[in-house]
Amino acid sequence: MIDLQGFGPQLWAGTLITLQLACASLALGIVLGLGGAAAKLSGIGPLRWLANGYTTLVRGVPELLTVLIIYFGATAALMALAGLFGYDAYIELSPFAAGVTALGLTFGAYATEVFRGALRAIPHGQREAGMVLGMGRRRIFLCITLPQVWRLALPGLGNLFLVLLKDTALVSVIGLEDLMRKATVAVGYTKEPFLFYLCAAFIYLTLTIVAMVGIHLLEQRANRGLARS
Amino acid sequence: MKPTRNALAALLLSASAFSLPASAGDTLRIATEGAWAPFNFIDQSGTPQGFDVDIAYALCAQMQTRCEVQTQAWDGLIPALKVKKFDAIIASMSITEERLRQVDFSEPYYSGGLRFVAAKGKAFDTRRAGLQGKVIGAQRATVAGQYLEDQLADVVEMKLYDTNEAVYLDLQAGRLDGALSDELPTYEWLKSEAAKAFEYKGEAFAKDDKIGIAIRKGDPLRERLNKALQAIVADGTYAKINAKYFPFSIY
Repeated sequence: MIDLQGFGPQLWAGTLITLQLACASLALGIVLGLGGAAAKLSGIGPLRWLANGYTTLVRGVPELLTVLIIYFGATAALMALAGLFGYDAYIELSPFAAGVTALGLTFGAYATEVFRGALRAIPHGQREAGMVLGMGRRRIFLCITLPQVWRLALPGLGNLFLVLLKDTALVSVIGLEDLMRKATVAVGYTKEPFLFYLCAAFIYLTLTIVAMVGIHLLEQRANRGLARS
Repeated sequence: MKPTRNALAALLLSASAFSLPASAGDTLRIATEGAWAPFNFIDQSGTPQGFDVDIAYALCAQMQTRCEVQTQAWDGLIPALKVKKFDAIIASMSITEERLRQVDFSEPYYSGGLRFVAAKGKAFDTRRAGLQGKVIGAQRATVAGQYLEDQLADVVEMKLYDTNEAVYLDLQAGRLDGALSDELPTYEWLKSEAAKAFEYKGEAFAKDDKIGIAIRKGDPLRERLNKALQAIVADGTYAKINAKYFPFSIY
């Protein structure tokens, strides 16, 4: 491994944290996005309002603020609650869980719109055809709708993932030692800003390229059987 | 950033399943930033070090308390203190009106002042009479710039810049006879290659930038820290730590 004045292993550890954060947030965000899109398109009023409230709120608040509110706000709220029962010590929220929650919520809010667009792009007739064939709602969703939604949503989701990858740098304020934080710390010690920031940029770029190749392969697979136009 | 006390939404979202009680016990949890050498920084093995960290451990030894020094990005320090993640911040934090509304501070454990810098080996009289007609640079809207405007405007030819780096650059370029700036950050610059030909002139003065230890409002820890601070100054521990980083007293 490259030594980088002894900070190589530190940067590597930071890269791993960044990757873990991005992947965990992606998983949470996709679930939230699908749920949000389903809720927005459902016939039940309160569900629609809830989903609209969620996307408006989360997309309207800067990501940094979301991270801070979830971590410190939740800690303060939990402690106020515990205080009512006479328990007056610090309650630790895992910074990683808080970071994933915040980034996942953000990703989910944007993904909701991506999925909503994809869901609406599927002709209604296909569902009716399924029903005519005697398929249940579940099967129609899993066998007809979802594979196509996946194909239509992939480019949008890929885009969001690349944004997410870089948003992970925000979580250092709650004490997570991600790549960006490790780079800042190394600069503080060595006084070599160019070396370490360029190095961090290079690592982010590499991660982005790997992600882009992955997304491209997934798209190819999702589009198999479709004529290129 | 003020964390809301009734952030019920946040509570619901990041379900309490994530929480676990911290095993605080009698350990004092001290926070520092880790990106402000030589006061606090993190070495290759990830261990926090520097003047602030040494002072923290010295205070803990004096108070006979177990201590844990943790690092966190600057913006998260005061919020984390307020929600009791940490008990004290020793991170070269200036005592300001604004911060005093949020937290309490111990007595200052060091203070920054102003000091002149000029070319090595050349005579440079920092007394008022000696500065007559000299071209002196400083950063605009800083304590140093203000001092020049208020105290020396009638004696020196004043040049004000937007950043301290610009002051240093013009000093190197020979457009300035001397510069006035914050003593301690300047010390870092003086150690660099670019500053080889320069040195401090005269002693530091106008030591107004008081640096304290932040604690929660009303925390009795303040008294213990103040006592311990007095004790380590009195018994020479402070001077030893000081000498490790600066060849002059910064107390």
